[in-house]
Amino acid sequence: MRINPIIFGVLVIAIFMGTILGFQAAGIWSVSGKVTSGGEAVQPSTADLNSIKGWMTLDQIATTYNVPLADLLTQFELPADTPATTAIKDLETDLFSVTNLRTWLQARQDGSSAAPVESSPVSEDATATPEPVTVQPAVDENALPTPTVHVAPDRTITGKTTFQELLDWGVSKEAIQTAMGGDLPPASAVIKDYVTGKGLEFSPIKTALQTEVNQVK
Amino acid sequence: MTAQSLSAKTGSVKPRVRGLKAFLTHQTFRRITQIFFLAFIAFFAIQHFIVGEDSGVVTASAEAFCPFGGLETIYKFISTGGSYVAHTHLSNVVVLIAVLVTALFTRSAFCGWVCPLGFLQDLMSNLSKVLQKRIPGLRHAIATLKHRGARLAVLDRYLRYIKYLVLTWTIGGAAYFGVMVFRDYDPWSALLNLGEFSFTPGLIVLGITLVGAFFVERPWCRYACPLGAATGLISKLSPVYLKREESACKICKVCTNACPMGIDVHTATTIKSVDCISCLECVGACPRNGALEVKFGWPVIGK
Repeated sequence: MRINPIIFGVLVIAIFMGTILGFQAAGIWSVSGKVTSGGEAVQPSTADLNSIKGWMTLDQIATTYNVPLADLLTQFELPADTPATTAIKDLETDLFSVTNLRTWLQARQDGSSAAPVESSPVSEDATATPEPVTVQPAVDENALPTPTVHVAPDRTITGKTTFQELLDWGVSKEAIQTAMGGDLPPASAVIKDYVTGKGLEFSPIKTALQTEVNQVK
Repeated sequence: MTAQSLSAKTGSVKPRVRGLKAFLTHQTFRRITQIFFLAFIAFFAIQHFIVGEDSGVVTASAEAFCPFGGLETIYKFISTGGSYVAHTHLSNVVVLIAVLVTALFTRSAFCGWVCPLGFLQDLMSNLSKVLQKRIPGLRHAIATLKHRGARLAVLDRYLRYIKYLVLTWTIGGAAYFGVMVFRDYDPWSALLNLGEFSFTPGLIVLGITLVGAFFVERPWCRYACPLGAATGLISKLSPVYLKREESACKICKVCTNACPMGIDVHTATTIKSVDCISCLECVGACPRNGALEVKFGWPVIGK
């Protein structure tokens, strides 16, 4: 059967766009990389600080809540060269957690530019329903410390750290193998991606490897 | 009338058309769709660059619509039940599926009608043709270059296998390392991130591709595109094919010369090459009625 070339072109566009629109109509579409268990697209929302989750990246936080990335890094004493694509759950420290981040952003939204936050345990589950936000009282900006000098700890394993970086930091291959419980993975592989790709939990392995890094220090 | 006159009509020279009728062809429609999709992606790339970083408005990255990303994340997406390698999203997987479904029905028509990177190469090749028409020195230089390089043409058929190696590396590397091994070498990603001053080897590949398109049409598509490799393989199952009617064809080679993928259209009876991007340039260029047509037949076997 012969097909008119123009009809063929219409067919191409109809099939291509129809497939995409079909998925979108079914709710199977997200440009944020995350969907709920029901397949619903999850997008960061400016209106609700409780929508902050551990999987969100620094970039998403900075964009969604209109906060300069440098301010965020400085406020929580994170390394200035921290990749913007790092998930916030991979950066948790005594000072930085999802709860503290919410509190700080709430304070900014309420008019206080940089209300300091208290240290809190870092055990919050990235996917758990968040606790009610405790808003810090507004404080005089003049009374705030002006953290201009970066004092964040070096050699901290994040979601972007590679095995090669561990080797560069002086961690032995044997120590990595022990922590990983197997052969030495490819040096260029990102630890988190490799671990999650194997279907393992990142946090305990990260802790074990961080311990090795700290021992080298 | 009828059977005899129709038979006489087949193989006759197509009448020259002028005005609006000459404009309203499938080639014009193809260019319009290519411009639309390039503008669509450019809009998101520019919006993400200008607005995305400094506003509370969440903007999608143009890379979120790239099927290359879908190729790289597909293994992890399937093996982990829904997670992705960094820089990819559900949208990448959906667009990849749309590309593969399109290939299943219309061969690699995505490459010829939609792909913005293919369109950019088309633009470079067209620019080359325009300049060669207006600058005799350039025309002679390129003709000499092609003449001297003719002996290397035998390499063409072997170089086309490179894209399957790239496809294997793209999917296998992402599956093994858990990261996008292709992204740093991806010319399309390099172009989208140009505004963020993200200089990667992909930028060099992009430069080589666009400069190469000045001399050889669609060099990236011919030799290196992993997506084209994937759609080309799937197109083997497509019911759509091109039919050259030998009784009507005078073997003038206009079709072969018009083919941006360098397929020898004039020597085949059914054109089902994995390299065919279904742009239908050959059909539009063919000067004879019924000599070259798009046909719909049975999947796999065609006809």
